[in-house]
Amino acid sequence: MASITLKKLSKAYGALTVIPDLSLEIRDTEFVVLVGPSGCGKSTLLRVLAGLEPISGGELYIGNDLVNDVQPSKRDIAMVFQDYALYPHMTVRQNMSFALEMRNVPKAEITEQVDRAAALLDITKFLERRPKALSGGQRQRVAMGRAIVRNPRVFLFDEPLSNLDAKLRAQVRAEIKALSDQLKTTMVFVTHDQVEAMTMADRIVVLKDGVIQQVGTPEEVYNQPVNEFVGGFIGSPAMNIFDARVEGGKLLLTDGTILDAPKSLREGQSVRLGIRPEHFVPDLSGVSVPVKLTEPLGSETLVHFDLAGTEAIASVPPDTPARAHGRLSLRVAMNKAHLFDPETGASLRQKTLEAV
Amino acid sequence: MSMSDPMSDRSARIANSVMLFIAGMLVITPTFWMVLSSFKQSFEVTAYPPKLFFTPTLENYVTLSERTPFLHYAFNSMVVTVGSTLLGLILGTPAAFVASWTRITWPAIVTLVARMAPGTLFLLPWYLMFRQVDMIGTYGALILTHGVITMPIVIWVLLPFFDNIPRSIYEAAQVDGCAPARVFWKIALPLVSSGLVVSTILAFVFSWNYFLFSLVLSNSDTKTLIAASFNFIGEGSTNWGGLMAAATMIALPPLVLATIVQRWLISGLTLGAVKG
Ligand SMILES: Nc1ncnc2c1ncn2[C@@H]1O[C@H](COP(=O)(O)OP(=O)(O)OP(=O)(O)O)[C@@H](O)[C@H]1O
Ligand SMILES: [Mg+2]
Repeated sequence: MASITLKKLSKAYGALTVIPDLSLEIRDTEFVVLVGPSGCGKSTLLRVLAGLEPISGGELYIGNDLVNDVQPSKRDIAMVFQDYALYPHMTVRQNMSFALEMRNVPKAEITEQVDRAAALLDITKFLERRPKALSGGQRQRVAMGRAIVRNPRVFLFDEPLSNLDAKLRAQVRAEIKALSDQLKTTMVFVTHDQVEAMTMADRIVVLKDGVIQQVGTPEEVYNQPVNEFVGGFIGSPAMNIFDARVEGGKLLLTDGTILDAPKSLREGQSVRLGIRPEHFVPDLSGVSVPVKLTEPLGSETLVHFDLAGTEAIASVPPDTPARAHGRLSLRVAMNKAHLFDPETGASLRQKTLEAV
Repeated sequence: MSMSDPMSDRSARIANSVMLFIAGMLVITPTFWMVLSSFKQSFEVTAYPPKLFFTPTLENYVTLSERTPFLHYAFNSMVVTVGSTLLGLILGTPAAFVASWTRITWPAIVTLVARMAPGTLFLLPWYLMFRQVDMIGTYGALILTHGVITMPIVIWVLLPFFDNIPRSIYEAAQVDGCAPARVFWKIALPLVSSGLVVSTILAFVFSWNYFLFSLVLSNSDTKTLIAASFNFIGEGSTNWGGLMAAATMIALPPLVLATIVQRWLISGLTLGAVKG
């Protein structure tokens, strides 16, 4: 139970700067999800929080304590490692009991906590096994269990659900969320999974090359991405991006497709137009596009089509008459579309909203 | 498991057997010779051509136990070997752990160089130093000096074992609340147990068989078995039979030890097999 404050924090491995300058305030009891492309420094940031990597510059506070030079064992954090890091010479029960034993928790209480966590993660029947005799997903659950038996000041999770099957993943996701509400512990969670990020986070932190792109609630980063990177990264399938130019009061795509232009744009201005799959609406008065492929997902159908030399994806209702190699008329919900500066990638929409 | 044709499979097996046989003979012949000679009369030992058939006698062993304080020397050897093996383990195990953890290996290389240097290099300075502190002829001096034999072995056997432990396991232990010393006791040590067996055996055998330091730093009361056996090599005549009987007795403890733990020894020496 503590806030985490990063002030101008930097981290370099020798000549390689992974995190150049990062300031962030994670509130007490908050559930923060870190997302970003592979190699952007998510694990590094978690390791810095855990104290496993020395900080190259800046300050790190947990609660009100400056912990720059505090040993990992003294930080009172629990962490799930990306590669599980189970103790091979201990049984699952011993693995999960270890941290509590190190803290001199009474035996009876340890047993109770471990049994509770094991039941939650559905690993009760493996408790007397060694990690070697478990599958990847089972090991991952043990790694989760080792963390959640504790009641630390901060939980750090490095992609803890990546190896679970869809059903178990949804189940454990809900459990973690419930756990976070119940324990009221600050949690920092790294994931590649859009659904995890959107459903679990109080706030999402989008990282790129060790630099924060945007911090906000799931709705904010989804609906108001501050730049093209965030727009393209958050959301699955990804936002469709087109080059466009304002001509004669209309928005012109490279293949001559004409769309309505928002009023705020200047004549002749070049922009990058971002349209989410669900903002293509089947409409006979819309633009007719050649369908390449359809992916019926049950609740929706993904339609892959060519538009202005880009392969775009639209998410349409399942009863839409779209067939591969056929044609489909789509309208763009321009009030939901995103406009980005082609030079800087920054969103033009917020300015638009301000200007209105 | 392979699909190779049976002919080449068979010739490979034969080649294997031949090579094993040659290697075996190289090791076994002198041992066999030694044991055989220990049951011969002195004049028979050096006879040429060597006799395979002779009337065995226990005379040499009787001489050994009656004319020399054999058991006392054996006791000395045991004290020095066990002491120096423990010393090597106590110093070498944490040293190997720290060298692996910090990736600072130069101290380990220094110990290896010290181990590879000829023992005679140490003799004079040690003799002077131990005389200064009045420790010549003590078990302490022998145990300490034999540490130069045992500690590098322990370090170098254990280093790859520690290196094989994924770093994140140490890190998990730290996050779970272990200070580094506890990581060593609770996590690292149990994970290198087969390495500990191997290094203990090797340290024991090498220390047991090392004679040079004992020749100079012991006195008649603390002489080790192997150093004492040199008494059989006389100025004019050498009692070969006695020497061979002594050598046979000296070879016994390491042999017994190695036999008992050979399963660990093999899996430990071929480290790859115990990984994971
Ligand atoms: N010990 C290290 N020494 C040098 N460079 C490192 C070290 N650890 C990580 N890096 C580099 O730091 C960068 C960030 O790595 P990090 O593991 O934090 O990425 P990540 O965001 O967790 O990626 P992923 O999503 O693939 O897990 C990478 O370029 C990586 O190569
Ligand atoms: Mg990572």
